[in-house]
Amino acid sequence: MSTIRIQNLTKRFEQQTVLQDLSLTIPDGSFFTLLGPSGCGKTTLLRCIAGFNEPEAGSLWFDQDDITRVPAHQRNIGMVFQDYALFPDKSVRDNVAYGLRARQVARDELQARVDEALQQVGLQTLADRYPAQMSGGQRQRVALARALVIRPRVLLMDEPLSNLDAKLRLSMRDMIRELQRQARITTVFVTHDQEEALAMSDQIAVMQSGRIAQMDTPEALYGQPVSAYVADFVGSANLLAVDGVGDGVARVAGQALQVDTRAATAAGPHRLVLRAETLQLRPGHEPRPPNALAATLSGHQYLGAKTLCRVALAHGEVVQVDVPGLLAHQRGDALWLQVPAHSRVISQ
Amino acid sequence: MSGAAGWRLHPAQLWPWGLWSLLSLAVLTLFVAYPIGVLTWNALLDAQGRLSLAGFAQVLSEAQYLEAIRNTVVLGLLVTCSATLVGVPLAYVMARYEFPLKRLVAVLPIVTIIIPEVIVGQSWLMMLGNNGLISNWLNEQGLPLPSFYGWSGLVFSMTLIYYTYVYLGTLAALRGFDGQLEEASLSLGASPLMTRLRVMLPTVAPAILVNALVVFTLVVGNFALSSLLGGQIPLLSVLTYSLFVSEMGNSPVLQSSLSVVMIAIVAGVLFVQKRVVERRQVQMTQGRAPAPVRVRSGAGVLLAGAAVGVVALSLVPLVAVFAGAFTQARGPVMHWGTWSLQSMERALSLAPEPILNSLLFAAAATVLGTALALMVSYLVVKKKSRLSGLLDYAVVLPLPISGTVLGIALVQSFNTGPLVLTGSAAIMVVCYMVRRLPFGVRNASSVLYNLPGSMEEASISLGISPFKTFFKVVLPVMKTSMLSAAILMWATSISELSASIVVYSGGLETLPIAIYRLVDTGRLGLASAYGAVLVLLILVPVGLATRLLKVNLFSVK
Repeated sequence: MSTIRIQNLTKRFEQQTVLQDLSLTIPDGSFFTLLGPSGCGKTTLLRCIAGFNEPEAGSLWFDQDDITRVPAHQRNIGMVFQDYALFPDKSVRDNVAYGLRARQVARDELQARVDEALQQVGLQTLADRYPAQMSGGQRQRVALARALVIRPRVLLMDEPLSNLDAKLRLSMRDMIRELQRQARITTVFVTHDQEEALAMSDQIAVMQSGRIAQMDTPEALYGQPVSAYVADFVGSANLLAVDGVGDGVARVAGQALQVDTRAATAAGPHRLVLRAETLQLRPGHEPRPPNALAATLSGHQYLGAKTLCRVALAHGEVVQVDVPGLLAHQRGDALWLQVPAHSRVISQ
Repeated sequence: MSGAAGWRLHPAQLWPWGLWSLLSLAVLTLFVAYPIGVLTWNALLDAQGRLSLAGFAQVLSEAQYLEAIRNTVVLGLLVTCSATLVGVPLAYVMARYEFPLKRLVAVLPIVTIIIPEVIVGQSWLMMLGNNGLISNWLNEQGLPLPSFYGWSGLVFSMTLIYYTYVYLGTLAALRGFDGQLEEASLSLGASPLMTRLRVMLPTVAPAILVNALVVFTLVVGNFALSSLLGGQIPLLSVLTYSLFVSEMGNSPVLQSSLSVVMIAIVAGVLFVQKRVVERRQVQMTQGRAPAPVRVRSGAGVLLAGAAVGVVALSLVPLVAVFAGAFTQARGPVMHWGTWSLQSMERALSLAPEPILNSLLFAAAATVLGTALALMVSYLVVKKKSRLSGLLDYAVVLPLPISGTVLGIALVQSFNTGPLVLTGSAAIMVVCYMVRRLPFGVRNASSVLYNLPGSMEEASISLGISPFKTFFKVVLPVMKTSMLSAAILMWATSISELSASIVVYSGGLETLPIAIYRLVDTGRLGLASAYGAVLVLLILVPVGLATRLLKVNLFSVK
């Protein structure tokens, strides 16, 4: 249970700079996610916090303790790995007890804490199994129990759910979040899955080539992205070319729209971020609704719960629109594309 | 931990892995690089100690040396071809057909491990040599065999050992072959024969060639069979050994020059193998080999029969050596059919020194060699740094050095000077260790590559230091593969002849050396008795490990 402070961290591999003068504070007890595509430096940052990568410059702090030069095994961290990293020659119980034995915890206490940890992840009945006899989800739960049982200062998770199937991933999300809340442990979670990040995190840092592109709550990140990169990575977004920006007004495809222009700096070019599910389609024979652009339906895919529509604007740009359920229009129909006023204009 | 360590050797980074790397590197330098350097240097000095190429000039111009070089290359080519001709069809039959006695063929790779070459040579002499059991019987039938000494004996006996290398490599490739490719070819209208030639053969061919080249290098380095069965045919390893014996006390120019020539030949072949052939190997992305088909047709039965026949022939030496151990013998004459305990008694009670020496040296080499191999492969695979990169190169140095050459290099290096090892048990142990090291490292590395780095990091994150993690996490996982490496090390050490016969001196005689000398002087009874003991000393641990501990000796080649 610590605040993690990262100051001016730089990490290079050979000639390549993977982390560039990065600073970050992760509040005590929060669930913090590093989000980004592969190669953005998120795993490197996590491994710096763990002590497996040594930074070339900068410092790392747990509360008031400078841990920059502390070796990994003395940092008191709990780490959960993508491939589980269970010890194949040890039973579930011995895997979980491993860290406690290293700390020379007395036998009775060790027993009690291992039992408690296994119970928390619902594996008390499988304590004597070996990793090879378990499913992927069970193994990941053992890994979680093994990391938490030592009561670490911070919990570090490196894409822990990416090897699980979709259904299991959903239930593991809940379990991880629940255990994290109970233990009130500062957690750093690395993922490239934006949905996972949005669903689990108190705060998310979106990373882009070794830097933090935006750090915010999930709601702010999705609703008010600061750049095209963030907008596109966190939930897919339509990014429309903007011809001119005024106060609360943007000119798109020759049409003035009322939108949120607070994030637009003077320097262009500007883009309008349109989330597919916030857009509405109206029949073209109706009078123009407020804040709408003329469009033509150019294609659609029915997915059951929703229909993915592609509509072409007058000047040729194509926008994706999610319509709940079944679509009432035909390919080639003239439509109005209604843009919500909270849509954001960003500078690139 | 990361590659950035480089040459900036902070004391903190040096401990523990840097120090271990330095230590391993020192061992390899002292016992491999330095002796090769000394050998090469000696090849470049004339009798007066001046720099000169006279040694090479003599070796590359005089008829006897040129003939030996030519014979060795020709023998290498012949055996490589014949071993391929036996090994490839056998592998195909084993991969594709089910037939009675198939499980007998499956034990085959073990046979070459448990029967040392010197015993193979001796056994075939007892069967097919002058006065041999089979040659005598055929003589009585009026069907005299041509002399077994020379080309026929060499090619025959070497083929029967070395085909297993081609067999194992080809079998592995065939088992990895995607059966759907065959089906695809057939569905496109190609005939089964064309499918095999155009689709299967190209994917398997590199594996065959890699192992065929290994056979070539083994033939070049072979001493036991070359010497026992070579007759009047000069061969490089035998000639180098006799130069070593005759130049004793004089300047070692010729033995050194010839040794360098041998290294060059083998290194050249290995280079071609590594750079040209291995790169052509095809990676099968998916799929599995088709299930073996039960033999029905006449041709299949014939093939299966041939497979069993090959294995039976490979096992003849095993039977012969045990029979010989309990047969009445007088010098080179074996009284087959008359049983006696005389030879065994002599071997076990009157002259047990070779047995004790072999046990001692092989045990020491097994313990030290396995530990060194594990350490080196761990450093190379898991603790990448410039030092361990050097180690990666150093560890393959013994590969092109045949036993005879290694022995000569060690004698030249440790006969005088600051570190005198000649005449000590240590030099025998060094011989054994060095010869097996590249293979030990290769085996351990393949296991370590499959051990995810996160396993160690998990342990470290739980509060165990990296050094302790090695013992608590890495070692337990490697237990069985270490055991199989140790057993292979034991088997190859205890049957090592070509290097140890060069470096040994009075009182250090081992079983293979004793057998070789007894066969050379025609005392086949005692040789058989020692042979039987030697085979048992290999067979028992191999059997125990594979049966009781379920160690798969050949899961990693």
